[in-house]
Amino acid sequence: MVKETTEDPSPANAHALAVHVRGVSKTFGTGEARTHALKGVDFDARLGEMLVIVGPSGCGKTTLLSVIAGTLEFDGGEIDVFNTPLHLLKPRDITEFRKRNVGFIFQQFNLIPTLNLVENVSVPLLINGVRRPAAEKKARALLEQFGLGGRENDRPTMLSGGQQQRVAIARALVHEPRMVICDEPTSALDKETGARIMELLRDIARHPDRCVIVVTHDNRVFKYADRMTEMEDGRVQRVHESLNYYDQEGEH
Amino acid sequence: MYHLALKMLLGDRAKYIMLVGGLTFASLLMTQQSSVFFGLLSWTTSHLRNMRAAIWVVDAKVEQVNEIKPMRDTDVSRVRSVNGVAWAVPLFCSVLQSKLNDGNFKPIMVIGLDSTTLVGRPPTMLSGRLENVRLPNSVIIDELAVQRLSVGRTKPLGIGDTFEINDKEARVVGICHADRHFFGYPYVYTTYDQALQFAPKMRKMLSVVLAEPTPGWSVERSARQIEKETRLKAYTEEEFFWSTIWWYFRNTGIPMSFGTTIILGFIVGVAVAGQTFYSFVLENLRYLGALKAMGASNGLLSRMLMLQALTVGLIGYGLGVGLSVMFGYAVLGKGQPPFMMPYQLPLFTLMVILFICILASLLGIRKIYKLEAAVVFRG
Ligand SMILES: Nc1ncnc2c1ncn2[C@@H]1O[C@H](COP(=O)(O)OP(=O)(O)OP(=O)(O)O)[C@@H](O)[C@H]1O
Ligand SMILES: [Mg+2]
Repeated sequence: MVKETTEDPSPANAHALAVHVRGVSKTFGTGEARTHALKGVDFDARLGEMLVIVGPSGCGKTTLLSVIAGTLEFDGGEIDVFNTPLHLLKPRDITEFRKRNVGFIFQQFNLIPTLNLVENVSVPLLINGVRRPAAEKKARALLEQFGLGGRENDRPTMLSGGQQQRVAIARALVHEPRMVICDEPTSALDKETGARIMELLRDIARHPDRCVIVVTHDNRVFKYADRMTEMEDGRVQRVHESLNYYDQEGEH
Repeated sequence: MYHLALKMLLGDRAKYIMLVGGLTFASLLMTQQSSVFFGLLSWTTSHLRNMRAAIWVVDAKVEQVNEIKPMRDTDVSRVRSVNGVAWAVPLFCSVLQSKLNDGNFKPIMVIGLDSTTLVGRPPTMLSGRLENVRLPNSVIIDELAVQRLSVGRTKPLGIGDTFEINDKEARVVGICHADRHFFGYPYVYTTYDQALQFAPKMRKMLSVVLAEPTPGWSVERSARQIEKETRLKAYTEEEFFWSTIWWYFRNTGIPMSFGTTIILGFIVGVAVAGQTFYSFVLENLRYLGALKAMGASNGLLSRMLMLQALTVGLIGYGLGVGLSVMFGYAVLGKGQPPFMMPYQLPLFTLMVILFICILASLLGIRKIYKLEAAVVFRG
């Protein structure tokens, strides 16, 4: 495995580790249908950064994201997330861990169509045992902040794709998770809207105690990344440090 | 989360209506058909309500109240002499032919009462005086008799009118209310001696001995004592009721045909509710997966499904039983078809509906447990 790391003394390096993955493997199926999705992945993500994972289709990006998020069991290796060793936890404890620490953003938004925006956004808080009035209050505030004030009682299907993804982001953040996981967050959106969503995610990553991991195909979004991890055939191939186009180019 | 579970359920109008509709139909079918069934069975015991007595003494072979075998007249005094019997009186009870004005014949249930005590008298007199039944050739007829025997008359049969029983003239001296007989025979009350005049002569004419236990004796004890001393069969009112019902259960196709309908209701409930609820869960699997990824435990999701299933179950149950009760009110006034809803019946339906709902939600819950949270990342 070639690891091409541009050594760089930028402050990002000084950031503490959020995710530490060593030698993780995962296979699907048995016999002929057996697929090695992850073949010993080494991978780090740091607090305060937006990390983008890229690679060809089928290289294992989603699988990697799933095991980091604790939604998928893996076969071997070690995963530490915020110093919690996922490989040692029981399924029940992993669920607990996920509930408190992980926010999810999906390609298809996965907003519940029969619930209005406030109810959709309040779900993670309710799952965490927050009472309904407090949860809805916080959801409202966040929707307002994301430019969706006044639409709180609308159904998700009444919104544009970009608006729906903003609702999904609000839902991912409402319980203030330390890790936000995004799988192809822009691929269901047009270029313009995708760019705005990425800006929003980058702003969210600018938090000393949070890390945002984005899996994407979309090379238009690379420029928003602090670092980029390239995957190929179940392995991490390359890590590009300190891309941070944003800081280098300033506002655009 | 539970309010959201309910909102998800109500938000899916089509499925919600389908679920509630299916369960309403199932509850209605089960409750209404059972009520008609019980009503029909209760008709088989109309004698017990129309000629009330604590103890019914009959021939040793009699198993149910509509199948009376005649006894000797002397059996009355044999029962009277039993220790623990306060009094005992004869009762005549037989189907005789009455002649209508248009020349047709109609079967009627002729009841002959002991003329001194009039024990076994009609439960409710509507017009006329009960005591007048002691006058020669007099009868008291029930409302059904008025209806049935008035055929061919210019005005309905009333007090003072006459008709023929077995070619002998009978004069109406009163109208009463009586519970309907299983075979639809009108009740016609007269005295025991008069009844013997109407009926064709036979060696044995006594149908039943009605008896009362002496104070301090329970009905059961007194009845057992009668059986011991006379070798006749003595039923308490309640024993006769259940023995009759049970007889119809064993010897007719009634339980079978109603049972089939009731089972059909159950199957429709299971099929519609189970199928609809399962497809509701399948359609929401994406979102359930998302909730699972966000940290909702299997327990929480299962309770949400259970709540959804029980909600539609209780609403469907309420509507179904409500409709059955409305049906009951509508038909009770007319007396046709029979209807009887003991409180155990809606309770039983509730159990069945809850069972169906739990079954339906278990199908979904199984799916939840097998669902990998990671599916939400897949398109
Ligand atoms: N649940 C599963 N069952 C069987 N095979 C699977 C499953 N999930 C993933 N795979 C296989 O594992 C490999 C990696 O899949 P993964 O979804 O992680 O790729 P990816 O990089 O996210 O691809 P894409 O860019 O198309 O989303 C693929 O060969 C895929 O077919
Ligand atoms: Mg993928």
